[in-house]
Amino acid sequence: MLGKGGKRKFDEHEDGLEGKVVSPTDGPSKVSYTLQRQTIFNISLMKLYNHRPLTEPSLQKTVLINNMLRRIQEELKQEGSLRPMFVAASQPADPLGDTFGEAQPAFSHLAPPGLLPAELASTMPLESCLTPASLLEDDTFCTSPPAQHDGPTKPAAPALQAAKDSFSSALDEIEELCPAPTSAEAAAEAGSKAQPSQSNLHKPEGVESRTAESKLMDPLPGNFEITASTGFLTDLTLDDILFADIDTSMYDFDPCTSATGAASKMAPVSADELLKTLAPYSSQPVTPNQPFKMDLTELDHIMEVLVGS
Amino acid sequence: ADIISTVEFNHSGELLATGDKGGRVVIFQQEQENKTQSHSRGEYNVYSTFQSHEPEFDYLKSLEIEEKINKIRWLPQKNAAQFLLSTNDKTIKLWKISERDKRPEGYNLKEEDGRYRDPTTVTTLRVPVFRPMDLMVEASPRRIFANAHTYHINSISINSDYETYLSADDLRINLWHLEITDRSFNIVDIKPANMEELTEVITAAEFHPNSCSTFVYSSSKGTIRLCDMRASALCDRHSKLFEEPEDPSNRSFFSEIISSISDVKFSHSGRYMMTRDYLSVKIWDLNMENRPVETYQVHEYLRSKLCSLYENDCIFDKFECCWNGSDRQVEFLSLIVMTGSYNNFFRMFDRNTKRDITLEASRENNKPRTVLKPRKVCASGKRKKDEISVDSLDFNKKILHTAWHPKENIIAVATTNNLYIFQDKMN
Repeated sequence: MLGKGGKRKFDEHEDGLEGKVVSPTDGPSKVSYTLQRQTIFNISLMKLYNHRPLTEPSLQKTVLINNMLRRIQEELKQEGSLRPMFVAASQPADPLGDTFGEAQPAFSHLAPPGLLPAELASTMPLESCLTPASLLEDDTFCTSPPAQHDGPTKPAAPALQAAKDSFSSALDEIEELCPAPTSAEAAAEAGSKAQPSQSNLHKPEGVESRTAESKLMDPLPGNFEITASTGFLTDLTLDDILFADIDTSMYDFDPCTSATGAASKMAPVSADELLKTLAPYSSQPVTPNQPFKMDLTELDHIMEVLVGS
Repeated sequence: ADIISTVEFNHSGELLATGDKGGRVVIFQQEQENKTQSHSRGEYNVYSTFQSHEPEFDYLKSLEIEEKINKIRWLPQKNAAQFLLSTNDKTIKLWKISERDKRPEGYNLKEEDGRYRDPTTVTTLRVPVFRPMDLMVEASPRRIFANAHTYHINSISINSDYETYLSADDLRINLWHLEITDRSFNIVDIKPANMEELTEVITAAEFHPNSCSTFVYSSSKGTIRLCDMRASALCDRHSKLFEEPEDPSNRSFFSEIISSISDVKFSHSGRYMMTRDYLSVKIWDLNMENRPVETYQVHEYLRSKLCSLYENDCIFDKFECCWNGSDRQVEFLSLIVMTGSYNNFFRMFDRNTKRDITLEASRENNKPRTVLKPRKVCASGKRKKDEISVDSLDFNKKILHTAWHPKENIIAVATTNNLYIFQDKMN
């Protein structure tokens, strides 16, 4: 069923994922587990924040979706402390640009929407924002047949290492260009597995984003009288969201990138490529195949709300 | 046609009430059985239609309050009139449905058309008499029980004392007296002090059929709590907690969501209760809390589709379940359970023989007065003739509400817009 090469419908895609016996411990299945978890996370967020009813949303539904998000968040936290950290966040759009110091990832598709407006508002326009590498591979992933989970079992670690190395070298490059406290820390930690240090990296941004969050929460329709959803988001620490689930193990198993090579995806991205990535997004509700685009829709919406208020 | 949101037979089975999304209640009445025509029981025809609830606006929250009827419960008949409770998200109303088939004629001061007569023309006095008229069925609201629920009411249940009833919303259960509308007593409150800590809501509640101080309520985490009102005024501490341990082999992201109980119904005797979660029906013995005594899979083939069903919100559909009525030979034994599924399918499980059947409520596929053909869903692999594959199921055609006549083998099955009434084949 997987890897047929034909056009993949959403249902089939999901069946393919769900048909597998996925558990966090299997090697190749971990990819599909991670993918499914991300998909569900995105769907859940979309459900919570895109709901604009005239009547009160169902409390039961809201509670169940929140529980789902919390559970995934817990898992991410636990896994985050076990897996090697991959700092995808600090890729510059323009290696020569001097805005790197403020540059934030345009998107981690797991970031709650509340975090992003703050980042965007304080930085350059969307098109030239950074985009984490995992995002790019998501795009590739979306437009290509799903990964062969039971295909050739490339050990995850060396591939990951290779990717990280190329990326950390990119980071070093960046650091040379624009030494800033944040970027220095990022570069230093690129090869490390330590999570705590990364929390330092994003603390300044974290504080700023949280205030934006609380500002953001007010116009949203009442979930638990608004407080509960705010609570969910403030529970998260930015580093967990931004880092914990950005893993490149996915594209390691992606046969479609074999031609181009996984490493090439990790090269610093030019603004053009970014524009191409971002351009096709629309405000239509999208399937979880394109989580990035969907969250941009949310972003847009949130931006409108912020600007309006 | 509007979307049917609840179906309920009255205690004799002669009347069948449906509520819809537009706030209307339609009551059907069974024709008197024609003794000569023993091959069919009476048909149900429209008896009364009235607008129970209107849409309202909550100015404080700037939100509409839906007029959709969530539940209807009949009171046992005490006199010539019929009484039922109907509720939307916020307000419960007691309706009196009465017949009028006579009217007084021969007033002294009024003409027959209502105009007043000139008193000087009145020369004799007469006593007005009742003369027959065309049957008129009138529905009038007798009590309105309002402003007691902050959250959405999901259940109402009349106590066996026939004087009190409970109403349950997502976080609280209130006890009312049928005569008193300005006061209700809160008997369960699971609202946390900090709403951010909320992880569980009440999904259904019901009084025990015989014990007027006992009731149960189910939760979104798949638990059922039995409470005794004699224990304390606020029954936050349960007397019994029914919960089945999770099956580790079936664990998935959606385990919690599919364990959420959508309906709970006591058996006629009160010894058992039945719960409906997304994929199964479970029968519990009130004396055993750690697991159900029987579990019936309604549509296990959906287990591999949960992600899609989560995405399109179908996983949140609330299916109801019901027991059979008491069989003519054997009184008050709860032997068969019935519940709905997708594609306008509904399922019945026989507890004795362990056999089950899937039937379809659809005009296209079933001519009236023909025996329903059993259906089968093909989960995977080669589809046999007459089987329907899982992927061709229509998830917009869902049967959420079913009801069984309390005394005969007549069932009412509600699809989205239509009500089907089936009876068993009589020899």
